[in-house]
Amino acid sequence: MSIPGPASPVVLTLDGVSKAFGPVQAVRNVSFDCRAGEVHALVGENGSGKSTLLGVASGFLAPDDGSVEIGGRRRRRGSPAEARRFGLGIAYQTYSHVLDLSVAENLYLAVPKEVQPAFGRMDGWATATLEEFKLELPVNAVVRSLSLAQRQLLEVVKALLARPKVLLLDEPTNALGPAEVEQLHELVLERGRAGVGIVYVSHRLPEVLGIADRVTVLRDGVAQGTFDAAGMTEESLVALMIGRPLRHAFPERDSAARSTDVLLAVSGLRGDRFGPIDLEVTKGEILGLAGAEGNGQVQFLRALAGVERPTGTASCNGHELDTKSPLSALRAGIILLSGDRTGESLFPVLSVRANTTVQILRRLGRWGFLRRRRERRTVDELVRRLRIRMASVEQPVQSLSGGNQQKVSLTRPFLRGDVKVILAEEPTQGVDVGARFDIYDALRAKANEGVAIIVKSSDPLELAGLCDRVIVMSRGRIVDEIHGDDLGERRIVEAIVGSRVVRESA
Amino acid sequence: MTGFRSWMPLALMTTLIVALGAYAAVRQDAFLTNYNLGNLLLSTMPLALVAIGQTNALLVGGFDVSVAALMTMCVVTASFTLQPDKSWPVLLVGALALIGVGVATGVFNATLIRVLKLPSIIATLGTLSILEGASLLLRDHPEGFINADVIEALNSSVSFVPYAFIGVVVLAVVADLWLYRTRTGLALRAVGLDDTSSRRLGMSTGRIVFFAFVLCSVMAAAAGFYSAAQVQIGSPIIGNYALESIAAAVLGGASLAGGKGSFVGALLAALFLTEISNVLPLFQQPTEYAQMTIGGLILLALVLYQGPELVARFRSNWVGVGRLRARAPAA
Repeated sequence: MSIPGPASPVVLTLDGVSKAFGPVQAVRNVSFDCRAGEVHALVGENGSGKSTLLGVASGFLAPDDGSVEIGGRRRRRGSPAEARRFGLGIAYQTYSHVLDLSVAENLYLAVPKEVQPAFGRMDGWATATLEEFKLELPVNAVVRSLSLAQRQLLEVVKALLARPKVLLLDEPTNALGPAEVEQLHELVLERGRAGVGIVYVSHRLPEVLGIADRVTVLRDGVAQGTFDAAGMTEESLVALMIGRPLRHAFPERDSAARSTDVLLAVSGLRGDRFGPIDLEVTKGEILGLAGAEGNGQVQFLRALAGVERPTGTASCNGHELDTKSPLSALRAGIILLSGDRTGESLFPVLSVRANTTVQILRRLGRWGFLRRRRERRTVDELVRRLRIRMASVEQPVQSLSGGNQQKVSLTRPFLRGDVKVILAEEPTQGVDVGARFDIYDALRAKANEGVAIIVKSSDPLELAGLCDRVIVMSRGRIVDEIHGDDLGERRIVEAIVGSRVVRESA
Repeated sequence: MTGFRSWMPLALMTTLIVALGAYAAVRQDAFLTNYNLGNLLLSTMPLALVAIGQTNALLVGGFDVSVAALMTMCVVTASFTLQPDKSWPVLLVGALALIGVGVATGVFNATLIRVLKLPSIIATLGTLSILEGASLLLRDHPEGFINADVIEALNSSVSFVPYAFIGVVVLAVVADLWLYRTRTGLALRAVGLDDTSSRRLGMSTGRIVFFAFVLCSVMAAAAGFYSAAQVQIGSPIIGNYALESIAAAVLGGASLAGGKGSFVGALLAALFLTEISNVLPLFQQPTEYAQMTIGGLILLALVLYQGPELVARFRSNWVGVGRLRARAPAA
């Protein structure tokens, strides 16, 4: 690895960049630069602002404040086209492929007009290009038919086609096996030796320390400093990534409420992006599901809820679980609190009252008509119990804060007496601190009633404080299990960032 | 175009046109006459042009339901600007006025869709209403004849084939070559298939969608000329071209999800749909059947063309599972 001297020109500069999405401040006053020929890693937990920063650099997002310079030229109006013209290439975490077009067509669209070959010579050109980057892919195959690893490598090649001065890689190894990681790093380092500045975003610290010259750490959208990678260890990076002094009062774990009765048993469950998974959750237990984004946690939860279709078996309370549809999962007593609250859990334009009682209307009605007074009483009681803050129960839920929205979706398991398992996906994302603890209390209260709860969260502090046991997923499998005295924020983060490749023998 | 699936609509339409034509020719002598065939091709013109326009809107993942109202507006405009007693220079300006109405409507639609971010179906529904009202304001009942020389010029033909039809065939072929054999054609399809990825790849997706909707309206205005030549009077009521143009585009292979379609396919489908209306009277069948047949055909086309895709998408879940299972070592 070539260590660029301080004389190397700076190819990318972000100066005092801030960006908010609605009420959430994603990055705050971050400055960052990348020199020609260096690999500059950007690390941080999920939601620490890494992807936002890349979006700003690439022109896909407009910053609220601050400026971006690429190759010494200051950006005017941010647009991806302009950034590319200035010499910036980016491999997106979620890719920029048009899935229904062929590999050749996707490559063709990714080169600047000036260097595009004639349309008729596209296939030959694409073959030659792939050869140059030592990537073996059928040029006529539609991208949809490629594996995720192939799509990832293609994405990087696309970013390199315009001969960029600076290359941004957003979590480029999530879908890759060890051999492919090698292949990718080889490709990247070769460019680095040719003088390209590389910004490498990843949460996999061993990889980062293996490839980077410098490291910048982000936490909650704020830069924690830039360091020489040679002087850093995984531990020192983890400390910078979490380093939260705050200790909150999480609800007491009530060991009396827990039993050894297995409520949810999963064996050999497989689905899109996860599996096989074997797991048992007991009555009254809160199980945490940790892992870096995109390692199958969401798919696993959704499969249990009947939203996605798995193979393998799962049983609930001794009965085999039918995961054909959300309805059959609900009938079995499994309720999913989706991470996409307004998209999947709630009816944003309907009132708090309507959202609360939508699943139990039959119980509140007589001869097909709703008894409003009874409904109102039910809702009022829950609003008090969960401390939902609003002007009136007739207020549309879309006008509530994120935390109060989440509490509204939490009313449903309280109303259904038959709930056995709650699957909570990011229950406190976008939720302010006060409301967070109300939500933790509510979940713990349900657990104490004998319900089994699985919480998928990208916040290790939350998992450490709330859960009785935490499992860590990587590349679709359970790679670690943490419980008892071991259960701490630091241990979880280490398990996530250290989760080296455990499987693979394809 | 690659693969059988993209050729299927063209093959199916051609087969149906020939089959229906052969059946009609065997059973009715009146079908295979120069007069009837010329008439068939001429009456295909409005639908062919507007279907080609509609294909543009569908390619970028939108709909334009204002096309019929725009055609009506063009006919009404023609009854003022293309009147019988006008001289040729005046008529030329009058013709440009029709195209102007098309461009203005297209820019209006495209602005609503791209700048105000309205869903295309809602935006063009609003435009439809405005244009319909304006047409009725200008002509509350059919009046104002259209210049006979203009009509004759539009209808002129070699043997039984109108020049205009030859022109539209050439246009459709060239447009398909553009769509599938050039960079900009590829860009248009890419935007229709995946807007986010296209933007990430540095394409000006806004400009492309804008262009597609303006082109759609201009083609509808061109279709207005041929409607004017058919009705020959400033009538505020023209056929149900909004639905039929979408029907023709979809029968011709356009995907309702965007990114797929064929201009030649749209032309063939327009010819086939017109052929149905042409043949039915020969058998003393009410033309209302044509409308019902068209409705049934749209549904059939959707199932035939997009069915395999839906099934594939449904199956891919299971294939994905199978692939994982094959890769994973025995647990």
